[in-house]
Amino acid sequence: MEGSIMEAGRYVGAGLAMLGAAGAGIGVGLSALGALTGMARNPDTYGNLLSSMILGIAFSEAIAIYCLVISFLMLFKVV
Amino acid sequence: MEQEKRRPWRRWVVLALLIVGFYLGELFVPVQPEITVAPEKLIEEPIFENFLGFAGPLYLVNTMPTLILTVILIVLFAYAVNRSLKKSAQTDFVPRGIGNVTETILEVIYNMTEGAAGKWVKTIFPWFATIMIYVLFANLMKLIPGFESIGVLHHAQGEGHARELLVGNWYLFTAEKGEYILAPFFRGISVDLNFTFTLALIAVIGIQVVGFRAQGMGYLTKFLNFGGVFKKPVFGVIDMFMGILELISEFAKILSFAFRLFGNMFAGMVLISVFGALLGKISIVPAGIYLFELFIGIIQAFVFGILTMVFMVMATQGHGEEHAKH
Repeated sequence: MEGSIMEAGRYVGAGLAMLGAAGAGIGVGLSALGALTGMARNPDTYGNLLSSMILGIAFSEAIAIYCLVISFLMLFKVV
Repeated sequence: MEQEKRRPWRRWVVLALLIVGFYLGELFVPVQPEITVAPEKLIEEPIFENFLGFAGPLYLVNTMPTLILTVILIVLFAYAVNRSLKKSAQTDFVPRGIGNVTETILEVIYNMTEGAAGKWVKTIFPWFATIMIYVLFANLMKLIPGFESIGVLHHAQGEGHARELLVGNWYLFTAEKGEYILAPFFRGISVDLNFTFTLALIAVIGIQVVGFRAQGMGYLTKFLNFGGVFKKPVFGVIDMFMGILELISEFAKILSFAFRLFGNMFAGMVLISVFGALLGKISIVPAGIYLFELFIGIIQAFVFGILTMVFMVMATQGHGEEHAKH
């Protein structure tokens, strides 16, 4: 019984840790929005904006990756 | 014209490989590998009982062979680039092949650094380029087929897989549960927290070194900002607390550097192994994940380098200097 509660707690915790991905999703969407607006206004900046956008997306995605690491740590019984 | 005729021919190879992959997936059922955060030990016993006298036992883990392989590859790469550039310098000064590619990439990075760093470009650019090339090799090495899938068998602590004889001393995992787990010979070095953490430490210490070189002892006022406390009571105290926050953020940089790279690469590894185990027969899906991981690997190498560069540039621009500009 005790073991199964631990098990359940691990899975619930892993799921809860992934809530942080919501913020990263908002961040990725906002950076794409900004880049697209800029591209629509001035199509010549496409190349510049694309690389900066991918860089920004990589930064926001890192937050989701932290959450993913925490949830993996819980799932695979590291801590 | 000749080249346009040749193109469709390659598509059929991809299709043939897809079909072969489908039937091979039927024959050899894909098995989900054991996923561990720490690198697996190839030999159970430690090589040194107490490494260097204080560091505790040193095990032969499977990122060490990869580390050696990566360093050898980088040296070979440097040699190839050097030879290619020398050859072009002897003939007509037109770089070709690998020398040309490397020169293009490094030129883009150099211009980017020059735009941000100004006169400090000669100090900062080597850090940026070294870290980027090293991490790029480390990230792309983990995508080589055979990594994470060929290794030595250990007895499982918990749940493992059954094995069947392939040839000689080599075994193959089957889909049934058994008592063996795999410790691969090679595991990508960026899927090891030791590697990313060490690199992050090197980068952050490098940032401090560049800061001290640019501003001398004045760099310390970024952290210990007591000067303004007596001159302007309210804002001086705020500045002092800002300095303490800067000190904390310097340590947070180490963690964020280390976990960004490790997290991305580890998530990629898990994604590839889970998708390979679930959809191994429809091999275009794991192939797509592989392509995505290629992209992520390049992006993360670039991000690690560019963040080091940006922090170094911030370290060279002091507090007072900024005020003088206004």
